[in-house]
Amino acid sequence: MKSFRTPSLILTSPWSLTFILFWVFPVTYSLYISFTDYRLLTGEYDWIGLANYRELLSDPAFLAALKNTFIFVGGTIPFTTVFALVMALLVNRQFRGRAFFRSAFFLPSITSMVVVALIFTNLYARGGYIATLANLAGVSIPIHGFLYDNTTALYSIMAMDVWMSVGYYMLIFLAGLKAIPDELYEAAEINGASPMKTFWSITLPLLQPVALFVIVINSIKSFQVFVEIFVMTKGKFDTATSVFFIYEEGLTTAFRIGYASAAAYVLFIIIALFSIAQFVLLRKRSAAW
Amino acid sequence: MVGCQNHMRTAVRYLLLTLMSAIMVFPLVWMFRVAFVAGGGGLSLNDLLTTNWTITNFADLFTQANLGTALFNSILVGGIVTLGNILFCFMIAYALARFQSRLNKILFVLVLLVLMIPMHIIIIPLYLLCLKAGIYDSYWALILPWLVNPIGIFLVKQYIESIPPSMEEAARIDGAGEARILLRVVMPLCRPALAVLAIQVFFTNWNSFLFPFILTSKEHLRTLPVALAHYQGHQAIDWPHLMAGSTVAVVPVLVLFLLMQKQIVSGITAGAIKQ
Repeated sequence: MKSFRTPSLILTSPWSLTFILFWVFPVTYSLYISFTDYRLLTGEYDWIGLANYRELLSDPAFLAALKNTFIFVGGTIPFTTVFALVMALLVNRQFRGRAFFRSAFFLPSITSMVVVALIFTNLYARGGYIATLANLAGVSIPIHGFLYDNTTALYSIMAMDVWMSVGYYMLIFLAGLKAIPDELYEAAEINGASPMKTFWSITLPLLQPVALFVIVINSIKSFQVFVEIFVMTKGKFDTATSVFFIYEEGLTTAFRIGYASAAAYVLFIIIALFSIAQFVLLRKRSAAW
Repeated sequence: MVGCQNHMRTAVRYLLLTLMSAIMVFPLVWMFRVAFVAGGGGLSLNDLLTTNWTITNFADLFTQANLGTALFNSILVGGIVTLGNILFCFMIAYALARFQSRLNKILFVLVLLVLMIPMHIIIIPLYLLCLKAGIYDSYWALILPWLVNPIGIFLVKQYIESIPPSMEEAARIDGAGEARILLRVVMPLCRPALAVLAIQVFFTNWNSFLFPFILTSKEHLRTLPVALAHYQGHQAIDWPHLMAGSTVAVVPVLVLFLLMQKQIVSGITAGAIKQ
């Protein structure tokens, strides 16, 4: 066998370079500057230890951003997961028109977030479509539109986010449903199990790993929500989230990149802890099943 | 009796499905209609039902708002990033799949590791890096960081591992050089996986907003999503034009989706099944 060392090194070099330049360096460098008072405009900086982290924990803007992030994650994921599962169950079996419904459900997921955010800015506006519907239904609505009110802005964005992402997670659930062997359903049918019973004792338990995957990747994504906030409210009306805070502190007006990096690391730690906790919790429960 | 019940069930099922798909598709139909509204407005149902259709909104965007530039940038950047990923992910995946060495094992673990790192952590340092490296506000900033996608490496590596190496060995015995084997024998075999990779990378890039937005400031470098966000920001909202621009950003993705549904679906589910 010829030595493969040199060709292998050449072939993998794009990855080695990308990894070092665009992952190792940024991740470690931002950890380093999170311990400094680096402001982009002055250029000079000093090591200040944990001062940024301490300031963050008493910064009302950061705490509000964290609160909004948690509301966003906690308020969207249960709905997205359940709706996605229901959709998957509805289009799982073969029937006339299935391909059409699948595509319709999936369509929003391939649309650009900026475009979706713009469409919903229109729909949510004062005098817009949703306000008209709400009026017809006799529901009282914010006078300046859903996105211009502290009590409704964030929730309106969250509802849009559920609408946008269900189709994507439906596809993942469909893949999970496909992986459940048909024999199990046949056996259940022979034993006279009702469809409900079959769902609770076969489909749901066997879908657990997929559900876990859906919840974990969706929370990692949702903890980083930014684009829709930026486009729809610019963080106003109590909608600023953690990544919006990072953007605003680090890349606008004061350019406090040391401080913003510390905020990024706090969010990083929260995401890591959350993912680990979800794995441990759900593993334990599925072991007890 | 049972037959009647079945009919009922089917009817309820179709009703539910129709209602749900209407909710899912409606906002996009709304966008499309507003894009063709003549004059101002484009907000209330009344506007949409009573005004005539016109295509001047699109013409305005190309002649007065530089939408052509943004469209060109999106196509250029998306195209280069997609081609780069096809070539690089294939090279890397081939080496990782066929050459067993300790370094390659580590490199693959790093692929999985990077997949788990939340992207928000690199916002600030990538901005600084581009600034210091002198590529801030250039096409390089929109292209270089995204030429190798870890998901792509993962996808193609799994695929190559499912192909028996006998074809490569036969070509080697026939005296073909390694580069020729790679490009003429293995790469064509990987076409299904590379198509999945290409469509995924292109979609992600086409729809991407955050990084193109923070890594450029010049108007002539804006991609479609960045241009749309700026267009919304700089004046009182002019819905017909904004939705016309949005339509331009959505239609190519829609056409690709209808043409390549199978690849899109398998790209998404491949990652999930692995778990």
